[in-house]
Amino acid sequence: MSTTASPELEPAGPETPALPAHAPEAHAPTTAAPGALYSWFTTVDHKKIGTLYLLTAVLFFAVGGIEALVIRLQLARPNNTLVSPDTFNQLFTMHGTTMIFLVVMPALSGFANYLVPLMIGARDMAFPRLNAFAYWTLPLGGFLLHFSVLAGGAPSAGWFSYAPLSETAYSSTMGTDYWILAVIVLGIGSVSTALNIIATVITLRAPGLTMQRLPLFVWMTFVTQILVILALPVLNASLAMLLIDRQLDAHFFTGGTGGGNAVLWEHFFWAFGHPEVYILALPAFGMISEIIPVYSRKPIFGYEFVAASTVAIAILSFGVWAHHMFAVGMGHTTDLFFAAGSMLIAVPTGVKVFNWVATMWGGSLRFTTAMMFAVAFLLEFVVGGLSGITFAAAPIDWQVTDTYYLVAHFHYVAVGGVAFAMLGATYHWFPKMTGRLLSEKLGRANFWLMIVGFNMTFFVQHFLGIMGMPRRVFTYPDLPGWGALNLVSTVGAFIMGFALLLFLVNIAVSLRSGQVAGDNPWDAWTLEWATTSPPPEHNFFEVPPVHGRRPLYDLAHAPAAPPPAEGPLVPAAAEGGAPAAEHTGRLDKLDKFRVMMWGFIASETSFFGVLILSFGFYNARLEGGPTAASSLDVGKTAAFTVCLFASSLTLHQAEKHLEHGKGAASVRWLLVTVILGLVFLVGQAHEYIGLFDSGISVATNLFTTSFFTLTGFHGLHVTIGLVALTIILGLASQRRQPGSPGSKGDTGEHPQLVPLKTIGLYWHFVDVVWLVVFTIVYLRAK
Amino acid sequence: MNGAMTAMTTSQLLLSTWRWDPLAILACLAAIGVYVGATRAKLSPRAPYLTAAAAVVVLAVASPVGALSDGYLFSAHMLQHLLLVLIVPPLVLLGLGQERAEGAGRGERWIAPAWLVGVSAMWLWHAPTLCNAASQSAVVHRVQEASLLAMGTVYWWPILAPRAESRIAPAKGMVYLFTGCVACTILGVVVTFSPVEVCSVYLHPTDTLGVLPLLRGSWGLTADRDQQLGGLLMWVPACLVYAGGILGLLARWYKADGQRTDGPLVAQERA
Repeated sequence: MSTTASPELEPAGPETPALPAHAPEAHAPTTAAPGALYSWFTTVDHKKIGTLYLLTAVLFFAVGGIEALVIRLQLARPNNTLVSPDTFNQLFTMHGTTMIFLVVMPALSGFANYLVPLMIGARDMAFPRLNAFAYWTLPLGGFLLHFSVLAGGAPSAGWFSYAPLSETAYSSTMGTDYWILAVIVLGIGSVSTALNIIATVITLRAPGLTMQRLPLFVWMTFVTQILVILALPVLNASLAMLLIDRQLDAHFFTGGTGGGNAVLWEHFFWAFGHPEVYILALPAFGMISEIIPVYSRKPIFGYEFVAASTVAIAILSFGVWAHHMFAVGMGHTTDLFFAAGSMLIAVPTGVKVFNWVATMWGGSLRFTTAMMFAVAFLLEFVVGGLSGITFAAAPIDWQVTDTYYLVAHFHYVAVGGVAFAMLGATYHWFPKMTGRLLSEKLGRANFWLMIVGFNMTFFVQHFLGIMGMPRRVFTYPDLPGWGALNLVSTVGAFIMGFALLLFLVNIAVSLRSGQVAGDNPWDAWTLEWATTSPPPEHNFFEVPPVHGRRPLYDLAHAPAAPPPAEGPLVPAAAEGGAPAAEHTGRLDKLDKFRVMMWGFIASETSFFGVLILSFGFYNARLEGGPTAASSLDVGKTAAFTVCLFASSLTLHQAEKHLEHGKGAASVRWLLVTVILGLVFLVGQAHEYIGLFDSGISVATNLFTTSFFTLTGFHGLHVTIGLVALTIILGLASQRRQPGSPGSKGDTGEHPQLVPLKTIGLYWHFVDVVWLVVFTIVYLRAK
Repeated sequence: MNGAMTAMTTSQLLLSTWRWDPLAILACLAAIGVYVGATRAKLSPRAPYLTAAAAVVVLAVASPVGALSDGYLFSAHMLQHLLLVLIVPPLVLLGLGQERAEGAGRGERWIAPAWLVGVSAMWLWHAPTLCNAASQSAVVHRVQEASLLAMGTVYWWPILAPRAESRIAPAKGMVYLFTGCVACTILGVVVTFSPVEVCSVYLHPTDTLGVLPLLRGSWGLTADRDQQLGGLLMWVPACLVYAGGILGLLARWYKADGQRTDGPLVAQERA
């Protein structure tokens, strides 16, 4: 299969004749048909879901953008009174929350969803229905967040909601509660997608596509998802604790007589928050790593270095969060270590920038709009990175943190970096998704207006920050230069808004009458270009053989004689001697479930880790009121603990029997497991009731708060596990006629074996968590 | 503390607190012994690594670091630990020489125990009772040092064993190291921000060397800061060691892909 000829990049007009394509229905963009709209609601196809993510992100981008424009209007002149202070607080809180959680993360999920299965030669994601579920958490989260406007006021404590400002005493409307609920829901969606992508990349690659040959977008997205499953649960645990504070009068984060610790919120938030910025940046780096080589007509320079530096960033990102807290007063020693770590983490990013530039060096550059955005990305992101590095020096941070210098920094990396990368990615992959090219003329206008608007908006903010203008102020006095610079920034913001309007116009116009793209308009090399534009529902008519990092390039340049190093072109699956456990595309169902469950366990470890650490922290010193020693009955708890541990053994027995085909025995063991689990829950409920009866509730003191939170969430996990096990029990105990749906298939394997083993893994994990909780809470009680 | 003694200065501390330590001498002899033994066993040992390993042991136990870790500074004690668990064992194993071949074999079976041994080496010795015991009793301290070396070697064995079949696959190795890193980091975080003392002996050291004024005064290391510093050492620099290991494995992993991953043609060829 050869690539189609590259079309002219400066089309003579929007209507050019259609190029021949593989299948007759593939060369025209899909027209709406009755029922087609409904299919968008019920779809489990990764391409449609990816598109849904992108469209929803665009919608929220408009909302967040309008919020930004109102903010800029208010700040355009000193002592302005366009909006009230409280409205202003709601605006910047909603703007930040929307842009991060409702725009950038979903857009990146959208690109990942659309492109990852195509780039690895798979038919769909590993778990299509989970994929759909994850998408729908996005409208739900967006709705919850925005409903707050009608329910008393939007959240107004900033997008990271520092305690004690976010506590009830200072944020009395329900806005913060809606914020908490929305972000929890969105976090669940993000983790679900992450598990899906991890399972997909590990188990569904085409033959020959080893992990070491992954397109860099896939590799970086993969590493990002690992960050997601470790970081998002930290946020969710903290949000749960804040909600408990607000709704149940607890004192996790309220200091004073409550005994809580507001700084702990900052630690927990930034332990999520710093990996989060890499979660936003790494996929963008991946997009750039795909775009630049194609338009430089050269392979990426130093693939292994780009890939390895991604891993380095991921590891280090968990060690530098306290650079967001230099102004909190952690002490110079702590400040010093984080300053050093933060400077160090710039190195891997620098390596990447070097590699991108080296890729362009000596290449035959084509400045399509996508490439222009990519080059602009390099420049803007480096500016943002440089201002970021200045923050790593704690004394500089003390001067400029929470000023407009900071606002300038993060907008350079988030907009100049991530958003530019996404714009470039749209120009690059829109043809693949829709079958039509975006207009290059409109694209150039979009690009240049964006450059002017963006830099006008944010470059001057560096100066404003250094001159002392704090962030999040609804107005400012008429100090020399402040008014003028703010006005420039506001004008720039409107230019940016116009540029983005042009972008949307480009999309709308090109969808209707853009030049037809063909399979591979850019003569690119990765697998997504080896199918029609847009791809058929099953993605590929035929997956090309993969022997390297640029399959289509290799195919187009295959030498006449078989190359000596490999022999005839055979799929890698047939070659022996591959290093251990390389799943090059075998649709091994057991493996994908196991991979997903281990990923889920990792995320839950993160979640419980935060709760366990808080328990330890809050109970390190004895305070007044009930303690573990005075209020808990270790003996009784030990009894139902034994039942829980026994249930793991009985579950193991159930698995073993099912493996050997002894369905009836397995069902009996499973029944015992469920009963033992129920005994544990009843025991825990009994314990809780006993505590309530003696006047001990969640809000009594920090011991009781942390106790109920930790054991309560554990109990919730046990309950969920029991529900799952009961469902399996029900399915397994139904007698099946051989050959009917649900009976043993060709493999002879019981249809419930894989689900049982997968949930079994979860159940054993829940027991391990209890082992730790029981030891820390009950056995080491003071 | 003898009131007539003048407070020590930093340079005096650095010069005068070196001491003969049996473990240090043992380490130097062992380095030679390991070299000879490894050559006999048909391995290809590398002297620079073994020398470095011995030097680090000397630095950990016989230098001022060793002196200060004996009941003075919690952070010095942490530094000693980290050197013995995370630096010396990899140096020794690298010094034994690595067989080039790739292939996972027996090593896979021992992943879980080796990991647990390595992680418990860190966590167990931070239990306040054990921590205090090691700081007060010279015997327990020796046991601690030896156990850290031994358990550290067990931890690094699946990654850096001389024979290829005892090693685990690079991809698994990365997960192994990453999870170890997380365990170490969490401990570091807990120690840094713990509101209670981890090792109460260090609150009031007996000042046989006369260095306490220097430490608390010119160095400004109060007990609180000392504990913070100890925790931070476990957090940030230790993380770097694991990160280095992971990057090394990543390099190995990419090499193991076998065929040239640019396809049949050379990378420089333009499209």
